[in-house]
Amino acid sequence: MAKGVVLVVDDEAPIRDILSFYLKRAGYQVLTAGNGAEAMGEMGRLKPDLIISDLRMPEMSGDELCKRVKSDPTTQDIYFIILSALDGTASRIGSLSMGADDMIPKPFHAQEVLAKVDSTFRLIGMQKEIRRQNKELTAFQERVREEMELAAALQMGLLPKLPGEGGGVSYTHCYLPAAGIGGDIYAVLPLADGSTAMMIADVSGHGVTAALISAMVKTSFENQVRLGGEPLAWALGMNEDLCRSTLAEQFATAWLGRLDPATDRIRYVAAGHCAPLRIVRGSRGGLQRSEVLRGKGFMLGLDAQLPFMEHDAEFLPEDRLVLYTDGLVEVEREDRTMLEEAGLRRICAELPAGAEEAAAAIIAQARTFNAPAPFVDDVTLVVLDRRA
Amino acid sequence: MLNIQTRQEGTASVVSIQGKVNFEVTAQLRDVIRETVATAQPKLLVINLEGVSFIDSSGLGLLVAARNSVDKSGGKLHLACLPAPVKKTFDQTNLTNYFSIFATEQDALRGA
Repeated sequence: MAKGVVLVVDDEAPIRDILSFYLKRAGYQVLTAGNGAEAMGEMGRLKPDLIISDLRMPEMSGDELCKRVKSDPTTQDIYFIILSALDGTASRIGSLSMGADDMIPKPFHAQEVLAKVDSTFRLIGMQKEIRRQNKELTAFQERVREEMELAAALQMGLLPKLPGEGGGVSYTHCYLPAAGIGGDIYAVLPLADGSTAMMIADVSGHGVTAALISAMVKTSFENQVRLGGEPLAWALGMNEDLCRSTLAEQFATAWLGRLDPATDRIRYVAAGHCAPLRIVRGSRGGLQRSEVLRGKGFMLGLDAQLPFMEHDAEFLPEDRLVLYTDGLVEVEREDRTMLEEAGLRRICAELPAGAEEAAAAIIAQARTFNAPAPFVDDVTLVVLDRRA
Repeated sequence: MLNIQTRQEGTASVVSIQGKVNFEVTAQLRDVIRETVATAQPKLLVINLEGVSFIDSSGLGLLVAARNSVDKSGGKLHLACLPAPVKKTFDQTNLTNYFSIFATEQDALRGA
């Protein structure tokens, strides 16, 4: 097999012959042409890897040929060497600025041309390899992108369907993952006894790993709730689950709660998570007072032996609960301040009546506060209204 | 941008961190801590957080993993000089009760 295809273009037959002889002997397939127009014809039959062309020729000169080859997307990758008696820096710059890749001054030694052709083919070989690898990488990247899109769609499917209804509450969410998929998750489960189990969690890190763990957190929560018991038992069970199945540095902050309409109270466990806000009669909309459902606790997944603590808060009909992850309130602005809990409470002091409208208003006002800084972490916001 | 400096104080290693500790820089910090633990094998690793303006959950995860790995090799991890915003994050996650935390680097080195 030939080492490559070289097209020799020169109006002087002896030059074509001598170059052909040496190149063929060195193992190249050689095409020849007496001027640019003939060269174009040859290229129509077989695309060369390299063109060695004289400058001054009848019909179509070497510079015109070079211009055409280099301006056509199908031929512009052909390596082009100008062969010219016009020696000197000016002509060299002229040829190269035309798009030629290299130049050999006339008179030349055939051996010199051969050495240049050999080195050019080494370069062409490398370029081909880079192009091949680039193609492979692009294809790989495309596959990864498609898989990420699928994973993102799947993760969206893990979130409760909207609008959320049941157990005397209605709720909605805004879910804004930082990297297509994220480590935030929440769940609202109406229970047979009329109470509602709630969970919001934020897995450390971003992307695929965090997303996988967030799915695990949700499953673990559902299992624990099915086993019955109170948030404290759920937290202990979920902590054990996570300790068993995650690696070092992988944790989740979480808030787990159970709203009992019979007692008008929420029992909850805070596992290192942002404290939710209770907006007293918030579902009516307008100016309202908020309270923070405080509670201290370790993150889930730290150590299976760690204790957790259950807390308790009043939650009356028409009250509104705002659950969120830190991405909502921890965007550093240009003046280095953040919204934080206090800022969120200011926003929540006056919200519209519907959960949907309230969530949209919170996100919009947080964005305005942060502007021009965008959200950088996963952001999840859940607004849950208890019916009258 | 995270600025990390390490130095030896007898059998103790001190890692001082300045900047925001978040997801983007945890890899850099993890490498430094790993290398310090592997090469110096300190009986006591002090991490000075005085210059840390913010720490997110991946940063906390890294510190917890550091404590666990130092524990396993029979050493101790002490944290020193937690600025107010970091202290708040530690309080919220109850990590104040998980780590040995000291007001000054000297206290952390003495283990007092």
